Amino acid sequence: MKIGIPRALIYWKRPIFWESFFEGLGFDVLLSPNTNKKIVEMGVNASDPETCFSVKVFFGHLLWLDGKCDPIRKSSISNGVNLIFVPRMKANEGKLEYCPKFFALPDLAKIMVKTPILTATFDERKEKFETTLQKLGKKLKRNKKEVKRATETAFLKEKELREKEEKEFFEKIKSEKRKIILISHPYNLQDEYVNLRLEEKLEKLGAEVIFIDEVPNKQLTTYNLQQITTKKQKLSVVSCQLSVNFHWEFGKEIMGKIDELFEISRAKNVQISGAVEISSFPCGCDAVLKEFVEREFKQRKTPFLYLMIDEQTGEAGFQTRLEAFVDTL
Amino acid sequence: MKPIITFARWGNYTIAFETLFKKMGLEVIPPEKINSQTILEGAKLSPEMFCFPLKATLGSYLPALKKGANTIFMVQNAGGSCRQRYYGRIQEKVLKEQGWEINFIDFKTTPKDIYSELKKISRVSTWQIFQAARFFLKELHLIERIEKEAQFLRPREVEKRQTDKILDWALLEIDEIDDGRRLLKLKKEILKKLSKIKIDKEKDVLKVGLIGEIYTVCDPTINFEIEKKLGWERIEVHREMDITYHLKKAIFPWKDWIIQRKINPYLKSTVGGHGRDAIYEMLNYVKKDFDGVIQLLPAMCMPEVTVRPILEKIHQESGIPFLSLSLDEQVAEVGIDTRLEAFVDVVKNYHKNI
Repeated sequence: MKIGIPRALIYWKRPIFWESFFEGLGFDVLLSPNTNKKIVEMGVNASDPETCFSVKVFFGHLLWLDGKCDPIRKSSISNGVNLIFVPRMKANEGKLEYCPKFFALPDLAKIMVKTPILTATFDERKEKFETTLQKLGKKLKRNKKEVKRATETAFLKEKELREKEEKEFFEKIKSEKRKIILISHPYNLQDEYVNLRLEEKLEKLGAEVIFIDEVPNKQLTTYNLQQITTKKQKLSVVSCQLSVNFHWEFGKEIMGKIDELFEISRAKNVQISGAVEISSFPCGCDAVLKEFVEREFKQRKTPFLYLMIDEQTGEAGFQTRLEAFVDTL
Repeated sequence: MKPIITFARWGNYTIAFETLFKKMGLEVIPPEKINSQTILEGAKLSPEMFCFPLKATLGSYLPALKKGANTIFMVQNAGGSCRQRYYGRIQEKVLKEQGWEINFIDFKTTPKDIYSELKKISRVSTWQIFQAARFFLKELHLIERIEKEAQFLRPREVEKRQTDKILDWALLEIDEIDDGRRLLKLKKEILKKLSKIKIDKEKDVLKVGLIGEIYTVCDPTINFEIEKKLGWERIEVHREMDITYHLKKAIFPWKDWIIQRKINPYLKSTVGGHGRDAIYEMLNYVKKDFDGVIQLLPAMCMPEVTVRPILEKIHQESGIPFLSLSLDEQVAEVGIDTRLEAFVDVVKNYHKNI
């Protein structure tokens, strides 16, 4: 059995988790390749013109996997993909919701491709993540022990990755160069084709790029806890007055991480020179989020640049705006 | 500071909301009727990527604010998972950045929250709030009733545009009334007048279902009076979406369960807003053998855009004519008219071919 996982959208929320989970269960995993022009074109042609660019890219990956499927020989000997994994992410462990566009992805995928879709509803308001994974394992005819072992190894691998990222972050923040923070959803940041190699471009312009998802979560910081709690209380009082209480997981996460970033930079006495937010056109959630992110940086007197990406964004235009932005710093 | 209230404009229902606040002894400046000017002003202020109703409602506050209103009412979670939840926050931010001194009341759609907010602002007795709410519901019911009647009468009337004349007159009359007994009298009068319209019973009338996002579907100024235009083309328009429907769904959850069970083959989860309802209604119209379905949505509305591929799939399976119109501040009426005309031609031929 071969399980295909589209390397887009939800995959980037847990970059290494899914493939190690399915490999732990004894399946072959086929990840779709990094986004390229052909995949984007396929996705754009197939999907609704008004959905956001990220979803279009996701459908492109889905169709690529569908092209690799082998409908005639469904036995284990065949080389094709037997199942495509599209989870329905509804709420995370903090009982916060994902983007509403994620809710319908498996149903839309079913309309679009011939390959059977493997799906599970991850709603942690109703049941724990592990329980849902058990159910998913049951669907694939694996027993409880196997699923548990696979989950644990997957979690371990994910943790390693996070620790590595955190280490990198603390190295980056120490560097002498101008530090620019990139804010967006993981599926825009990690996918190099989608964000038009923004990281590379900024580094060429002599900046140190920090991704927002590299910033450690609040509970992970290695600071004196006492100090943080008092500061956090103060900050949370301030931010309560200013910003909204997001019911979206990324909203809360990004706002929290921005707070955390400024706290760390204050503690280590380094300055964040600028911030760039990218969002895919026309992302509905970012329309809300941007207003508050922008205000957060304006209050701290940090230059802020807002860029939009879609299938028609030209690299030259991007480059010009980035150069102008770096010059103003 | 004495609160002078304004609120988001919403089609013909604005009248009912106005009397709700008036009944509680509050001073009200009703929002301006939405026209291209207010939409333009609203769009200028609001974030570019936000959905259209935010821009339209923001535009409708502005004239009222200029007349002296200082308190705005906005509902917070009418749309479930969608971004309607943040309308209040964003509008408050935008208006305060423009220098307006306003008190923004951002309430949830639970009866308890509505009650407590109304109590806080009006400082009247619970009994008076109850009375006002009762009158509000009665008036709302009457408005929805005559809208439904008009949908039925328009394609059948012998003398053209008579229904619309009576409808306009009725809405003006309802606006002036503020006690229950006179409302009852007026109701009888309106219904009598409507029943006197001569209709052509022999005529077989085509039926089109109107589905989609609640704000665009219900507000005739936003959707360029699509109901009237179809009515004049001898097409009977059906729409389930109105405030009573929404309120019923908010109070009784089982309607949602029924909808979910019916649409299970297509969509297994909520997508926020009225995404599921659109699929349910479309399936219903297909079952009833309607001649066409029109989906109205504000451009980039997250739930409606998400379900649109599913609606298109139903359209392909059943062959029912389907038109999806996304509306925003840049859409011109002529463009919509052209597409409607083409659609009407398809609708008229749909049952002939079989």
